Amino acid sequence: MARIILSRILQGLLTLLVLVTITFFLVRMMPGSPYTDERALPPHVLAELKAYVGLDRPLPVQYATYLKNLIIERDLGILLKKDEVRVSEVIRQAFPVSAWLGILSIGIALLVGLPAGVIAAAKKNGPLDYACLAAAMTGICLPSFVIGPLLAVVAGLNLKALNVAGWSSPSDWIMPAVTLGMVNAAYLARLTRGGMLDVLNQDYIRTARAKGVPGFKIVTKHALRGGLIPAVAFVGPAFAAMISGSFVIETIFQIPGMGRHFVNATTDRDYFLIQGLVLFYGFLIVAANLLSDLGQMALNPRLRTSA
Amino acid sequence: MSSTPVEKGTSLWQDAWQRLSHNKAAMLSLWFLLFIVILCVVGPLFPFVKSPTLINLENPGAPPSMDHWFGTDQLGRDLLARVLYGGRVSLLVGVVATGVAVIIGVIYGAISGYAGGRTDSAMMRFVDILFALPFLVLVILFSLVVDAPAARFTEWVVESTGFARDSVAPLTTLIPLFIAIGAIGWLTIARIVRAQVMAVKKQEFVEAAVSLGLGRARILFRHILPNVIGPVIIYTTLAVPGIMLLESVLSFLGLGVKPPNSSWGILIKEGADRMEINASLLFFPAFFFASTLFALNFLGDGLRDALDPKSAKD
Repeated sequence: MARIILSRILQGLLTLLVLVTITFFLVRMMPGSPYTDERALPPHVLAELKAYVGLDRPLPVQYATYLKNLIIERDLGILLKKDEVRVSEVIRQAFPVSAWLGILSIGIALLVGLPAGVIAAAKKNGPLDYACLAAAMTGICLPSFVIGPLLAVVAGLNLKALNVAGWSSPSDWIMPAVTLGMVNAAYLARLTRGGMLDVLNQDYIRTARAKGVPGFKIVTKHALRGGLIPAVAFVGPAFAAMISGSFVIETIFQIPGMGRHFVNATTDRDYFLIQGLVLFYGFLIVAANLLSDLGQMALNPRLRTSA
Repeated sequence: MSSTPVEKGTSLWQDAWQRLSHNKAAMLSLWFLLFIVILCVVGPLFPFVKSPTLINLENPGAPPSMDHWFGTDQLGRDLLARVLYGGRVSLLVGVVATGVAVIIGVIYGAISGYAGGRTDSAMMRFVDILFALPFLVLVILFSLVVDAPAARFTEWVVESTGFARDSVAPLTTLIPLFIAIGAIGWLTIARIVRAQVMAVKKQEFVEAAVSLGLGRARILFRHILPNVIGPVIIYTTLAVPGIMLLESVLSFLGLGVKPPNSSWGILIKEGADRMEINASLLFFPAFFFASTLFALNFLGDGLRDALDPKSAKD
């Protein structure tokens, strides 16, 4: 088991190295440069600016320097648009916002999606099952940028209960978290239902039924553990989906999180900020996948032996 | 099915079709999808569908009427026409980008599964690594990088073929999107195909082909791959809605489909921005988009049950 975890960690590090490399070269292949909008810049000032951050050197040297700073000094560099501001500082301010939004919405997804999936599977082909399925399908098929504005109009403008935009008070958390949570609740409900049905069809459940174990106990005690495996496997990828979701949600509700910094950084061509944010995203996904793997191993002993 | 006396053996496909045609939700979805596709492809040819780009500033934000069935948008453009033309783009992106992903994924997965051994584990490690990348982020960066080459390609096509730019640009400006989405979509399909190929290659008919002296490529593509088509079809149907959603997210962020094109994603975004003024601007595109995705999901589920009865959940 320790070997499996170690090999996963090594693979994660390799993934991050690939990610850093791809991002480094993609960013420098983008048309335009960080300084294109400052029109009146005399050439010698521009040259000085570039020399200051090392952008005048050949690409391989830049790449090596970036890697060296990253690994040895654990430094992500500075913002090209505002010097003296470090990329790590931006992430330190924006990450708690995005993370809190992510945690709230994953919480909502778990609270809504898991019970819905379990109930749907337990009441297979009943009205409750169809209701859950239809609701889940609607959540999957409606993009979050439809659900978000709809919520905003209903709760924000008509009921005047919540602010439509911003991130200053806890009541501002509700709409973005619900919007993002609903989409994931929908996926989670479908996965849980599928996983539960797989388990409920197995022989040992029939044995339990034949022994006269009550239906409720069969579901909670015998089926739940195995049935949850697909849902746990989903939490890793859900984290990645959460990031893409947060781009949209943070734009709709004007939340100062990492998604908005990233969208702005791409338009500004702020190389170091883009690289830093992408690396951080990659790190989050690798970590989430690792946790999800460990969770699956905890639920399914058979996974602990295979490579 | 087994109760009816069968004189002739039924093929896998006849079996599957029979099961599918008994699935009401899937059949309804199939007809609905055909209807939507025909509507979007043929609809704009009818004279009563107006031009989607004709601006009429005297009649902006009009509610649905006999003249404009879905009303008009903020610039007085006919919403029915915009929804139909947008549907063409959304469906095209969904189909072509999925096609790109499927072609790459099938070839990669088949080679990896058939080769086995060290080649296989190296190729799959590579897929694992790509799988853990924050792909939306990379798609955004990639689409920015390929924008300029795509524009040059448009110019080149216009010059070398002599077609009008207005008829070329709507297609060529979509190419970065096809590549970007296709480049990430192939990972799952590669995994599926590899697993299937590994299972099939151990069977006797493959051994028979080997002992007949057939070449490796011929065995792989003529004898093994046809047995893998089922899961590929299932996954493809279920992947199209995901890819259409991705396109809409990119368009929402201003990175996907660009003017002069529009797509359902763009129309939904515009509608959401002006929802308080005229709700039909959001309703019609969102309805078309969501119901198409709905139908694709149900059809995919139905196909899975029909082609792979073991996995049937109902």
